[in-house]
Amino acid sequence: MATIKAAIPGVFYRRPAPTEDPYVQAGDTIVPGQTIALIEVMKNFNEVKAEQAGTVAGFLVEDGDEVSIGEDIVELKN
Amino acid sequence: MSELLVHRGGLHTTVQDIGRDGHYSLGIPPSGAMDQYSYRVANMLVGNPDGAAALEVTYVGPRIEFTDDRYVAVTGAEAAVTVNSEPVERWSTLTVRAGDVLDFAMLTAGARPYIAVSGGIGVDSYLGSRSTYTLTGLGGFQGRALKNDDRLPLGDDSVAPPTVGSTVPEKLRPTFPEVATLRTMIGLCSYRITDESMREFTEVPWKVTKDADRIGYRLRGGSLRFVDRKVPHGAGSDPANVVDLGYPIGSIQVPGGDEPIVLLNDAVTAGGYATVGTVVSVDRDTIAQTKSGDQVRFEPVDLDAALAARRDRRERLERTRESLRR
Amino acid sequence: MATTSVELPRARYDYGGDEFIFVELDEAMSLEANFKAMAITSVLREENIEGVIDICPSNASYLIRIDPDRVHPAELVAHLESLEQTVQPLAEDKTLHTRLVDVPVLYNDPWTHETLMRFRDRHQDPEASDLEYAARINGFGTVSQLIDALSGAPFLVTMIGFVPGLPFCYQMVPRDRQIEVPKYVRPRTDTPERAFGYGGAFAVVYPVRGAGGYQLFGLAPAPVFDLTQSLADFRDSIVFPRPGDILRYRSIDQTEFDAVRAEVEKGTFHYRIREYEFSPAHFLADPDGVNVELLEVLYR
Repeated sequence: MATIKAAIPGVFYRRPAPTEDPYVQAGDTIVPGQTIALIEVMKNFNEVKAEQAGTVAGFLVEDGDEVSIGEDIVELKN
Repeated sequence: MSELLVHRGGLHTTVQDIGRDGHYSLGIPPSGAMDQYSYRVANMLVGNPDGAAALEVTYVGPRIEFTDDRYVAVTGAEAAVTVNSEPVERWSTLTVRAGDVLDFAMLTAGARPYIAVSGGIGVDSYLGSRSTYTLTGLGGFQGRALKNDDRLPLGDDSVAPPTVGSTVPEKLRPTFPEVATLRTMIGLCSYRITDESMREFTEVPWKVTKDADRIGYRLRGGSLRFVDRKVPHGAGSDPANVVDLGYPIGSIQVPGGDEPIVLLNDAVTAGGYATVGTVVSVDRDTIAQTKSGDQVRFEPVDLDAALAARRDRRERLERTRESLRR
Repeated sequence: MATTSVELPRARYDYGGDEFIFVELDEAMSLEANFKAMAITSVLREENIEGVIDICPSNASYLIRIDPDRVHPAELVAHLESLEQTVQPLAEDKTLHTRLVDVPVLYNDPWTHETLMRFRDRHQDPEASDLEYAARINGFGTVSQLIDALSGAPFLVTMIGFVPGLPFCYQMVPRDRQIEVPKYVRPRTDTPERAFGYGGAFAVVYPVRGAGGYQLFGLAPAPVFDLTQSLADFRDSIVFPRPGDILRYRSIDQTEFDAVRAEVEKGTFHYRIREYEFSPAHFLADPDGVNVELLEVLYR
């Protein structure tokens, strides 16, 4: 199974803002370049983008969790 | 053409050199490469004089196209590096030609790779340095981090040509331990903290938070208690407040007692929080290669040990230079 | 008027790692401590010691940045200790060469008012404005009495720093007449550029827009920091104020504010500046009398 990894360390968010819906949910199909989450570091919110197409099988980290570089954050089914 | 074409800027890539001295009393910090060792070795590898401007990368590397023949070297944090998608050696003298593209994969250890190009990054010098200070947008390339599609000028490439393929031996490269040790001279306003808490300060591991940038690193891990006092005139009522004073680079302040901040190259130069000690200058190289989520520990040392650490680094740089001549 | 004189304790010397020496002249703020910091650092500048990179006078302390490969930190500390003994800024014949500067301020201006209203939830007294709160806790009957006190006596630039060009200013009045306010409970995330703020016993002008925790009292029409160096006063440096400057934060009205803004935008503005030999001893003996003279020289 393919995964999307965090390229930067920081705090992981699934939504663009606390009151808004998550970027993607389990079961959604995603396309390359699509924003699937944010990672906050150095006072900036950086978009995590899909590099390949697929279907989101599930999230491997929780909203608000700290992530490290290279950590798997999303599982994809092809 | 002697430019670098920036295809992708990376997360926070800036032009840096040895730093801008002599303006601290006006509130202007020196800036400059945070890991001076890796930066200086990168310049050696491409035959640049000490102090030539290079690129400092943070977490995510840039993708850069060359427009003429140059020597290039990548040092610092670990990440697979490619030229035209072919893997190349790090800590090694590389050659590139017009149209070649240097790219980075995800970092595997450390936080900041350095890229030196023969001739140096040719931005104008400002107050004696090419270093970027992004807070007020001075120095470097337009005072900011690189963006996609920037074109960076390069300096005149008339350096003494280095030996292509020269590589820095493993033992002369930095390591990235699980818990980084920061040698620290305790003092400044450490009298504001109880003895017991100062012991805790040097014993517990502190975790680098997401708020860790060129200005300073915020840490979490312990909780320090302040000594009770009668508030001195002008200090402010918070237990962490002192009459505003100058902050050394590398100094550690403790607002609230539970969130130490280590000030680094783009430091705020002064303020009103009690400082409890200063990381020795050489170990700023070490903290520069830690990233959010990593752990650090403060090891108390005295002045002699701090000066010995400087001599050690100078000798390591000389040994590196020697190893490249062979 | 009764003046309280401050006896400085013995200075405390410490290393800020291998590259800095920190000298605390007193834990408390006083004009005496700052005069000492200014006097010692000005002697040090003249001495031009090999290996000394930065000399930073601070409010009641000073900080020296060195290259320890060129000057041994312990030897420099020994020298600084000797300066503590020999440099006596309060001697009758000692003067500090300084500048008197007129700094116009529109107190109670609409822009900082708009900002401070957005952050009432971070303030000690959400029901009052920053000026109303400061007037009350400092025993002034009205806001205009507070403004008169701020505008009435000049301030000494006791330190520059935090960010480029930010002057920390301490009013040149005896301690019992010092205005003191706490910083915001939680810092604001926004402050207008050129805001005139007050925190602890210090007045500041924010050089650039950004976060800040000082009480907001007004807005200066003229900059303290100019990266473009387009105004004459910034020809030599992007930072206008210098440690030891004496600034008068003169209360102006909206009409004068607009006129100064127009001059700044045309690039024709320059500060009213008078060079001045300032005697700390004379000042401490008769602060009100010397302040009258300072203002007379400034507006002559």
